[in-house]
Amino acid sequence: MTFVTSPPSLDTDSRQPEVRLARLLDPGSLRHLHQPDASGVQAVRGTIDGAPVLAYCTDANSMAGAMGDHGCRHIVETIDTAVRDGSPVIGLWHSGGARLAEGVTALHGVGQVFAAMIRASGRVPQLSAVLGPAAGGAAYGPALTDIVIMGPDGRLFVTGPDVVRSVTGEHIDMAGLGGGDAHGTKSGVVHVVADSEQDVYARTRRITGLLAAPGVVRPLGPDVDDLRALLPERPQRAYDIKPVIRGILDPAPRFEELQARWAPNIVVGLGRLAGRGVGVIANNPLRKGGCLDSLSAEKASRFVRMCDCHGVPMVVLVDVPGYLPGVDQEWNGVVRRGAKLLHAFAEAVVPRVTVLLRKSYGGAYLAMNSRALGATAVYAWPEAEVAVMGARAAVGILHRKRLAAVAEDHRPELETRLVAEHERVAGGVASAVSLGVVDAIIDPRDTRKVLAAALAAAPEARGDHGNIPL
Amino acid sequence: MSEDIRAEIVAQVREVVARLGQLLAEGDPVVILESMKMEIPVLAEGGGTLTSIAVRAGDVVKEGDLIATVE
Repeated sequence: MTFVTSPPSLDTDSRQPEVRLARLLDPGSLRHLHQPDASGVQAVRGTIDGAPVLAYCTDANSMAGAMGDHGCRHIVETIDTAVRDGSPVIGLWHSGGARLAEGVTALHGVGQVFAAMIRASGRVPQLSAVLGPAAGGAAYGPALTDIVIMGPDGRLFVTGPDVVRSVTGEHIDMAGLGGGDAHGTKSGVVHVVADSEQDVYARTRRITGLLAAPGVVRPLGPDVDDLRALLPERPQRAYDIKPVIRGILDPAPRFEELQARWAPNIVVGLGRLAGRGVGVIANNPLRKGGCLDSLSAEKASRFVRMCDCHGVPMVVLVDVPGYLPGVDQEWNGVVRRGAKLLHAFAEAVVPRVTVLLRKSYGGAYLAMNSRALGATAVYAWPEAEVAVMGARAAVGILHRKRLAAVAEDHRPELETRLVAEHERVAGGVASAVSLGVVDAIIDPRDTRKVLAAALAAAPEARGDHGNIPL
Repeated sequence: MSEDIRAEIVAQVREVVARLGQLLAEGDPVVILESMKMEIPVLAEGGGTLTSIAVRAGDVVKEGDLIATVE
């Protein structure tokens, strides 16, 4: 059931749900799912780039957006309708949490919102735009959805600055505790930090389009860009992976990076390749040398599972020197969190294609969608290396005694000879091809074409699981 | 406003490439670290004048250690 209403006039309060929802949706597409009431929530239907979506918004002007039983029931109905329709559902959040005056009734309502989100998880894309403070229950709502986009006035926290101060003695304001900087760089809770409320709507629309309108792979001609030229000459030199990602993806719509400033040694995001919506997972050598560590493994794991449950094929770009060693890493659970990435990739049924750009060593090689984990295809650029570790490091271990036995001035010469021998026997991408762990060595200029063909050839599939916030 | 540039990985300082007082643009390299057998440039996040350099070539830095300040 929908109700047609007149569009809000321009001089209305910009915090009104009506106004916020109208800015999110295609002009003129907004239809109410219920008559406006005192529940503090408005739920609507509408379209984004013509595709149907459901949306709800908490009313910042009604008890600071606090959620009561009635408002929570609107949200639950909206999410359940989205699942029935197979449409994405978007929440606009500006809410102090459960309505205190309603007591446990409100708390129970908020819990039912959580349950509805979890029922819908992995079945339809769920996005949350945080436009103002979203505290307590209103913080966990967004956190249960696939993507959280935060505006400049958005704040997320379980308990606000006053409670923090009285309990722990720490002095901090709302922005410092739960603003875009905190969640964009420290906690990883927010996927996209937007520049303005208008930017929130633009980014939410683009990401919804990438998740909800998959598109089909169009044939591509030969590429003109030499992507290899984006890598430094010397193999030990770090570089930024993002121009390589942009070179591989279609120029429009632009690559939407998620959690860009948190665990930046791995890059994840959504874009299109030959017209097909894809998820990209790529090591970034510029940050921490591109190594995998506990946070980057966890970040990638959740993204891989999100792509899988929404049927988004994956492109995996590998240039990884290994897992980061260290006491901190071990004690932070690099084993537990790294295991999530192995599990996420091996479980994924969507087409997932790997390109080895340069280094690919050890456990990190396996974790980055290797053949052993069931990659749809694995390609390598000509200078790529696949090995347990770099040849020089391997020789240092395997031939430690022999190297120690020769005079110091003869050591470099012996080492060079042993490295060449080791590369011939154990490493090199050619031996990876003969083993079958790499399908083919490709010209970097053909990367787009080869990836598009591999994605087009693989049957469409979709993982049957939710998207637990790992 | 000043911006502290900090190490994000345990590393040895291979080279200090920026000079004290130099005007840096966003993305300009300040030092080059060596870790994971790789040379990793540390870049200025915002632009400004390099007002202090806390490390010398050969120093070992831990994650979170101050490398330089840009104002």
